[in-house]
This record gives sequence, C-alpha cells and structure tokens, in this order.
Amino acid sequence: MIKQVLIMAGGLALLPSCLRDEGKSSIRLTNLEVSLDEENLLAEIAETIIPRTKTPGARELKLHLFILKMLDDCYEKTDQQAFINGLQEFKELTSEQYGKSFGKLSAHQRESTLSKLENNPSPDLSAFYKITKAKTIDGYLNSQYVMTKLIIYELVPGRYNGYFPVKTA
Amino acid sequence: MSNLNIDAAKGNTYDVIVIGSGISGGWAAKEFTEKGFKTLVLERGRDVQHIKDYPTTNKFPYEFEHRGEPALAIKKENPIVSRCYAFKEDAMHFMVKDKEHPYVQEKPFDWIRGYQVGGKSLLWARQTQRWSDFDFEGPARDDFAVDWPIRYKDIAPWYSYVEKFAGISGNRDGLSELPDGEFLPGFPLNAAEDYFKDFIKNKYNNRHVISARCAHLSKPNQIHLDQGRAKCQNRTLCQRGCPFGGYFSSNASTLPWAAKTGKLTLKPDSVVESVIYDDAKGKVTGVRVVDANTKESTEYYARIVFVNAGALNTNLILLNSKSKRFPQGLGNDSGVLGKYVAFHNYSARITAEFDGLKQFATDGRNPAGGGYIPRFRNVYKQETNFKRGYAAGLYGSRYMERDRSAIGGKLKDNLLQGKLSPWIMGSHMMGETIPKESNFVNLSASEKDAWGIPLLNISVAYDENDALMKKDYIEQMTEMFTEAGFKNITPNISSQAPGLDIHEMGGARMGRDPKTSILNEWNQLHTCANVFVTDGACMTSTSTQNPSLTYMAFTARSVDFAVKAMNRGEI
Repeated sequence: MIKQVLIMAGGLALLPSCLRDEGKSSIRLTNLEVSLDEENLLAEIAETIIPRTKTPGARELKLHLFILKMLDDCYEKTDQQAFINGLQEFKELTSEQYGKSFGKLSAHQRESTLSKLENNPSPDLSAFYKITKAKTIDGYLNSQYVMTKLIIYELVPGRYNGYFPVKTA
Repeated sequence: MSNLNIDAAKGNTYDVIVIGSGISGGWAAKEFTEKGFKTLVLERGRDVQHIKDYPTTNKFPYEFEHRGEPALAIKKENPIVSRCYAFKEDAMHFMVKDKEHPYVQEKPFDWIRGYQVGGKSLLWARQTQRWSDFDFEGPARDDFAVDWPIRYKDIAPWYSYVEKFAGISGNRDGLSELPDGEFLPGFPLNAAEDYFKDFIKNKYNNRHVISARCAHLSKPNQIHLDQGRAKCQNRTLCQRGCPFGGYFSSNASTLPWAAKTGKLTLKPDSVVESVIYDDAKGKVTGVRVVDANTKESTEYYARIVFVNAGALNTNLILLNSKSKRFPQGLGNDSGVLGKYVAFHNYSARITAEFDGLKQFATDGRNPAGGGYIPRFRNVYKQETNFKRGYAAGLYGSRYMERDRSAIGGKLKDNLLQGKLSPWIMGSHMMGETIPKESNFVNLSASEKDAWGIPLLNISVAYDENDALMKKDYIEQMTEMFTEAGFKNITPNISSQAPGLDIHEMGGARMGRDPKTSILNEWNQLHTCANVFVTDGACMTSTSTQNPSLTYMAFTARSVDFAVKAMNRGEI
C-alpha cells in the first residue's frame, strides 16, 4: 500500500511531498527549497546530459530526483546554497541569452548552453553544474536500469578468475 | 523471602559465564557447551540472528538511500565511527554510534565497536595468519614488554583445531615466519599479483607474496556443512552478514553450534557491570549485569567466568570489578591492568600503476582481497634502526575507466563503453607497535555511562618507533615497486589516530610473573583461578598478524585447560 505512493528514482524509493502542496518539489526534502518548476528544469538539464537514445535517459530514470535527494542529505549547507544560487543564475542566463526558458530551447541550444558551463562560469553556476552533472552520472551508472540491463551488477558472482583474458587494444 | 532468593539464585546459576559473544566469546560458548557445561553468554548489545537479522544482505547498490554513502547529518553526529572504512549504509547498523557509547580520549583514539550478538565477527576483515616463534620470542629477544609464557608449539595444535572448524583458506607456503595451517584451497593471486610475487622472490631471498589466508569456505568440508554453512560465493559483501555463511562469524558458526547442544543460554541486552569476587570464598562467584533497556540489575552465578568483552572493554570490566581483596580491579595486585596497550600501525599505504599484462583482467571477486607480504624486516636478526617490523597487503586490480567529459549521446556512449585501466597496484602496512606502560586505559573518575558504569579513559599514541617503521615501509615498497617497473608510485601517509586499525590489544597481558602480568600461560588470572581472559586484552605483544585466529586458538586451549582443572577439582 505504502509502496504505491513512493516515487521510484533510479530504482530507489523516495517519499513524496505533501500532495496538496502545489508548486513544491514532488519529493520530500529536508534542507532544500525547490519548486516544482525548478525540479522540472533540473529534469530537462539532466536529460540533456544523459538523453534518451535507444535506451532510457535521465528523465525517465528520474535522476533529477536522485540529484535533489543526494544534495539534500549528503552535502554541506554551503554547497546546497551555491547550488540554489547557481540554479537561479542558470535560469537568468538562458532567458537573457535566448529570451526563453531552457525547456523551450532546441536540443542543440540546450547542449550548447551546458557545454559553455564546462568552462569556468561563476563559482555558484559552476557548483550547480558540477553537482548536477556528477550526480546525474552517478545516479545513471547506479540506477536499477543500467545495473540490470546495461552494465550488469552481480550480487552473487560465485567465481573469481585472476587471469581473465581481455583484448589489449 | 530467603527461599525466594535461593530459588532466584538457582535460576541464575550456570556452570560457566562467558562475557561477550564476539569472535572469542563465541568460541568459549562452543567449547564449553560441547563439553556438556551449562553456559550463559552475556552480550551487551541486541540479538542478531544468522541471516534473519542481516537486513541489507541481498540489497542492490541502487536500493540504498544514498547509494551507500551515510547522510551528512549521520557523519557529523558520528565523527569517530565515520572514519571507519566499513561505516556505510549497508553495515552501519552493526557499528556503535559515537553518542550511544561515549568514552574519554586522553589522546585521540578511534574506538570502533560492534555491540550486538556476534560483535565485530560480523564485520571483521577475515584475515587469518598464525603466529610463529619469531613473534612469540619477540619481546624477549628485542627487550620490550615481558616474555610470552608460551611458544609456538604450545598453541600450534590449537590453531589446527580452530582452523578445521572455522574454515581457513590458504596455500601451504612453507614459510617459517608464517606457519602453514589446516587449509581449504587458497584463493589464487591474479596475473599482476603473481608477477610481483615472482619478481620479489627472485630479487630478494626473504620477501614473499602469498595468497592472503582468510576465514572463507573456498571448499567446505562436512564440518562446515554441518554448521549450516555453504561455499563462499565471492560476493565480498561480507560486512552485511553472509546468507551463505561463507565466512566465519560467531553468528554463522560457533553460536548456533553451541545452541544445538541445548546447553547454551544467550542473553542479549545484558551489560556486565562487574565480576563478583567473594572475599570469603577467595574466588569469583558470578557477574553483575545491568539490563541495557530497563537498567535493572541482576546477578548471575557460575564456577568459571570467561571475560571476552573485546580487548578494551575487558579491561574496563576487570578494572571496575573491585573488592576488598582487589581494590584496584580484579587480578590487579601488580597495577599492570590496563597498561601496555598496543595496536597495529595501519597508517601508510601506497599505490602504483603497472603497464604490463594487459591481456588479463579479473572476473568475479576475490574474498581474500589479494596477496599478503609476511614480515621481512628484523625477522632473523635486528637489521634496521627500529624494533620489529610490518606485514603488508598487496593487491592488483583493473577498473573500468568511464570518461565523464562529454555531454549528451556521446557521454552516454562513453559511460556505457568504458575502458579497462592499467593494473593499479596497492599495498597497506600492518606494523607491530611496542606495548608501553604509557599506553594505557583506566576508568574515568568522574564520568559514567547510562548504565552507571565509569567511562573508559583511553591514552594510547604512536611513538618514534612507529614513525621510523612507517618511513621504512614506504621506502621498501617504493623500491620494490620501482624495481618491478611500476609507475606513478604514490605513497599515502595517513595521520589516522590509533584505533582505526581495530586491532587494539593488551592491558591484561599474559606473562610468567604475577608482578608484571595479569594472566598466566593458560589465560587464567594469576591471582584468581576461576577467571580467564582470551580476547585481545591477553596479548603481551601484537606482532603483525591479524589477531582473531590467535584469540580463537587461545580460547579453545584455555577452555580445555579450565575443564581439566575443574575435573581435577582445582577450580
């Protein structure tokens, strides 16, 4: 019963926020104030970093919720604040540059916006992007989908070979 | 009323009381119950039953709330235990949180504890090497501590005895400094580890890399199947508790074995406050216990008490067991109790890259962890400017490098493809430390815990010998790695406090002379014949081997002695 109201993010069950609390992020956060719009923006960014191809991308795996969960529970206050500041800067940056929000940009424009962040943006913007990208990748590699379908994690290997032949090239 | 008291006493009376259910307490329970003695095992922590109480054992990485990483709030609340490598979401429920059980650090000491049935035997690194006479003769030859009252021949049959039951994997390497045992097949070294092994064997005549010997059932015998255990499945998730019983723990092995005899009473949540010495009878009659939850006090009685509370807690209990006869703590006429505490120096590691043998990688996982380099310094004679020496781990692995630089479809492709790294070689030191009077524990004069027991004050530190040894380890490993053609050799010197090695030992050391030691050659208190200590507190010196196997052997040997002494009416 309870399971049905949990939100699955990359295979991890998260508690939803109060359902009537409109405009707030969909999962329960302790330290962060994130709006539903911002959560959706984060989903767009994560999807740009790891898009759907023949296999699911970040949005489908709900990696944006994984980012928020990790940021909320495992990061210092100063990092959380930098992330939130950086998120605001990011919103301004895209509207200044394109006159519309990130979600309305073409795939090419989105990629080029993020690519620019790879090189020395402001400290807050840099913190925001680094955390977002790192956690998107971590969440992806550790997601149930990837661990069961693409890079198989074996819970019970039952063997060890110290001379496993591999290609040298 | 008096009849009621007598009945209560009767109900609380056993042949033997064992304090602690960890690796040595579990062995005491097995040995006594097998020999027909009604045995009470007191455990201060909660019950943990094999398999049933391993809540994380079958979880996939993505099922942990933060993929294994403890939340920041938990880390900040627990700075001490957070420094332990095993304090992750999958095993932190088996580790004592800082605030639950405070202690006084006169000097920085990371005291890592596991208060539950099975103790730290659930969490240990499972490395098991015998001592040799190079170790037992160390203090006498190199003039420190006191002479061990035993030699290898005294304990060798007991090593064999416990190895057969626990299940120890290893190869017969034929090294006099690390005697062979009763082995199940060893876990093989991998290509890079074998390369290094052959290299240093040719280059130095007294340096060896062997397969790490460990308490895993590589190929179980009937005695292991009879315990309900099965072959190790190479999960290397041991710290969660193993559903196969693939590695040795009290929970998987000795405690259920003892329970099957019908002679075992196991009481979790029972904090031992002190051992009761009867001045009139001139011996110990039982123990005083505080219920961990209700704080209610109860006494239990027995002919014999085995103190296996874990090295430092055993010291605490003995120090807190005061009587007219023993005002400074049980068995402490000499004033030595709590002193000469030592540990293992784990404060340096080193890594390097090996560009060769790229046609091989590893597949599956090695529960032994890789190779082991037995001590090669100062073995046959003193040859350095420091006393004693160090053993070292040695392991090679190749991991998947996943390029994270791009974004979009390219990033995804890069992540999923990966590229095998060169062999990354690693080693860590396990140095002997010298027990000294100035490294001690005692009872806090002012502070008590929630059960009314004085807090333990710990005053243990590294010394100059440890620093010289550490320097030598880095120099020797750097030389060996360089000669072997390894690149990017990177020493990693840690400033970790003592304790994080989780090999604290001594305080109630064995010796021949009651004036300078607490226990005799049978782990029996010199001055109180019906009390025995067979956990780490008994250690006169530490040598370099992981100590648990030696505690197991001491325990079985000591129980054998105690039972014979009881049968002769001496105890």
